[in-house]
Amino acid sequence: MTGCSLGFINPLSVLENPGTTAGDFYARNFEKKAQPGRVILNLGPQHPSTHGVLRVLCELDGEYVARCEPILGYLHRMHEKMGEVKTPWQFLPNLGRVDYLHPLAWNWAFVGAAEKLAGLTVPPRAEWLRIISCELNRISSHLLWWGAFVMDLGGFTPILYAFEEREKINDILQIITGSRLTMANFRFGGVCADGDARFFKLIQEFIPYLRERLKMYQGLVTDNVILRRRLEGVGPIDVDLCQRYGATGPILRAAGLPRDLRVDYPYGYYDQVELTIPTGPVNDSFGRYLVRLAEIETSLSIVERALKVIPDGPIIMEKAPKVSWKLPAGESYMAVEGARGQINVHLVSDGGKTPYRVKLRAPGFSNLSLFAEAAKGTLLADAIAILGSLDLVIPEIDR
Amino acid sequence: MTDPDKWLTSWRSLGALSVSRHDLAKEGLTVSAFLPLAALIQAAQELKQARYSLLDISALEAKEGFVVTYHFDSLDQPARLAIRILAPKKKPLAPSLWSIFQGAEWHEREAADFFGLVFDGNPNLVPLLLPDPDEFTGPPPLRKAEADLAPVSKLGLLAQVEILDPDFGELLGLAQVSDSRGGQA
Amino acid sequence: MDLSLAIFVQIIAAVLLIIALMVGNAVVMVYMERKVAGFIQRRPGPYEVGPWGTIQAICDSMKLLAKQLYRPGNVDLILYYLAPVLAFFPVLLLFLPIPFGPWLTALHINEGIVLILAFAGLGVLSNLLAGWASNNKFSLLGAARAVAQTVAYEIPMILALLAVVFLSGSMDLKRITEQQGQWPWEWNILLQPLAFFIYLVSLVGETNRAPFDLPEAESELTAGFHTEYSGMGFALFFLSEYANMLLVSFVAAVFFLGGYKGPIADGFWWLFIKAYAVMFFMVWIRWTFPRVRFDQLLNLNWKWLLPLGLLNLWATAIIMKIFL
Repeated sequence: MTGCSLGFINPLSVLENPGTTAGDFYARNFEKKAQPGRVILNLGPQHPSTHGVLRVLCELDGEYVARCEPILGYLHRMHEKMGEVKTPWQFLPNLGRVDYLHPLAWNWAFVGAAEKLAGLTVPPRAEWLRIISCELNRISSHLLWWGAFVMDLGGFTPILYAFEEREKINDILQIITGSRLTMANFRFGGVCADGDARFFKLIQEFIPYLRERLKMYQGLVTDNVILRRRLEGVGPIDVDLCQRYGATGPILRAAGLPRDLRVDYPYGYYDQVELTIPTGPVNDSFGRYLVRLAEIETSLSIVERALKVIPDGPIIMEKAPKVSWKLPAGESYMAVEGARGQINVHLVSDGGKTPYRVKLRAPGFSNLSLFAEAAKGTLLADAIAILGSLDLVIPEIDR
Repeated sequence: MTDPDKWLTSWRSLGALSVSRHDLAKEGLTVSAFLPLAALIQAAQELKQARYSLLDISALEAKEGFVVTYHFDSLDQPARLAIRILAPKKKPLAPSLWSIFQGAEWHEREAADFFGLVFDGNPNLVPLLLPDPDEFTGPPPLRKAEADLAPVSKLGLLAQVEILDPDFGELLGLAQVSDSRGGQA
Repeated sequence: MDLSLAIFVQIIAAVLLIIALMVGNAVVMVYMERKVAGFIQRRPGPYEVGPWGTIQAICDSMKLLAKQLYRPGNVDLILYYLAPVLAFFPVLLLFLPIPFGPWLTALHINEGIVLILAFAGLGVLSNLLAGWASNNKFSLLGAARAVAQTVAYEIPMILALLAVVFLSGSMDLKRITEQQGQWPWEWNILLQPLAFFIYLVSLVGETNRAPFDLPEAESELTAGFHTEYSGMGFALFFLSEYANMLLVSFVAAVFFLGGYKGPIADGFWWLFIKAYAVMFFMVWIRWTFPRVRFDQLLNLNWKWLLPLGLLNLWATAIIMKIFL
């Protein structure tokens, strides 16, 4: 096509000659393999459906995604370096900021790794408080994902309903963590604050309330025919794909494998909790949707159980480590089931003031890496649905 | 094949430099091994066939070189294990696992960003988390000053270790050397 | 006075009134949309500016007026500025044949619905121009979607209206209104329920409203064809979207809901009440449903609405031939 007589630059002209577009390093790198005549679409880093600052370069064949590549690093803060230059105590608040939706799981992963390495024992009440807060946190993470996911599909309303529940959870967690978003109340050998009577009363009220609401969501959103048509059969992710990319969490469970670290490697007192692992009846986006909603139920029953058995007692061990605490030399690997999958902390210490190496394994990192393969050949709208169904939290991926 | 002992046997036959047993409850691993660079691909292939998946690639810089730890877990039952390689400082080149576990691409790119490691066979070894080379020219951020480096033997990576390669033992400064290299101990 | 001069003056006056109506409608609709959305989403909606937030929409429009017109580089200047104007002005003509009351029609012509359908097709041209001229790939994709969608949904829309035209034997909007009675059971909706349903679905597609808002699907294409417009450029698209909604709602009211006729006293108030009821329906589904996918949208049109519309048309024709 040639430009029209109005002196207009044809936007397609640059597409026919790849290599001529102005773009940054990644766009040029991506374009090298592009076939001529295809549109290269740059989704993000500022785009409504990338939940923050993910950037996805897509090569479009019509509206089909022929090839795509996520570009990371727009929210990279080098938490691993901070882990090496701060003492473990000073590094603790960072963990609340790695994944702002499920900060307590990250707390637990790091604190747990240090406790394993130093052989600290946590008092029972603290263990149960950890389970309660971590599970409530998981519910709030799943709720936000649910709202944002439906918003990706064009339904604006559910996210505001989800936020209503999140507010209630935040009200509860605020009592023991002191914050509503970047929580960091875990300490080496316990937690920092005990729940008072109001804390337990609010949870008791919240559990039946959320169960009622989940029933409503089933009718309002899950059974909506448009939503089902948008999700069913879209973006199947099978076990083989999960294996090759190391995907974990709800994605692996939706693929049909009941892998859950709370059962496989029970940390804390999870071995005292009876846990049903929801697995997906189907491995498409809708299966992942169902698995996450079922996990809310699972978490509720865990909290219910924990409320029954939580004993009185201290919330932190005697002679708990102080700010200048040094980790003993050694290596430990702690894995925690986060809302998005395996959160692993690989802690290596040489006995010095600061850890020698803190490797944070973000579940979203591996889950996102399979997106390029899962989205290949789908419609752009489906690719957005797949991206949403992976439940990405960019700060966690970029660390 | 999720029995840790079987992996020890398999790694021995691949010419492992050392093998270690770990306490799963304390260290989160069952077994681990230092493999020579050439044996890494073969070991990963065996792990893939046994339905293991690659969890992460965790690199660190020690006095002797870069220790790259590949964490694997089985899809069928809890049996986390680790393979380590020691990439020399002068030429930090390691084989890429991309052809077996495609997810390794990003983990390797991350390690390349942070440590300046080079993974041979990675199809797209451009910066992942760090800015592109036009913008960021500093040294890899997780490299340590010479004075801060610790030897591998001090890092606890070798719990209950059995050194199979005498040269490797000498390099790490560990005396315990097994003479039955490749065989069942 | 010369008769043609009288008609000319009448049309000028009518156009001025219609512009006022369009702007007023946009203000009312913005307020209604935000309040209804707030109600559906269990939040108050606008309530700070003026009593119950009623002045919010006016403040919004003042903001849009005062905003800098930002133009990205490498756009086609003429087309870029022409597109919003072209979106706005054809809509003016479309209101001319609407009978607001027994004696309240700006331009009474025999084939009123032909004029409306013909000029309504122009709207998509502006979307295409905006998408093409913006030099933005999102805009281009949005424009391509807009054309495919609007062209597709015009057909079942016409089929549905044609069934009513068969029934009343006229394309004159006033005659169609006159043939319906005052009470709801005398309206065409009872004679043509299927046509009304088809029309209702396709008017959502025609006006690019959610859940059929594919041309501006925000989670995929940021804002589709008007991604690169700011200030009044955006405001004109906005105005024309609401004006289009009002128009198709008027047509729905005239064809199926008895137009200006209603219990107690006929008059323009009935037309407005019915049109705003249809608009409320559009707002309601926008905030309730997720968005369909583009192929599903076209499948719905070509595989369901079009055959159903044709069947309905045939059935209407046969029944009329036999019984009337």
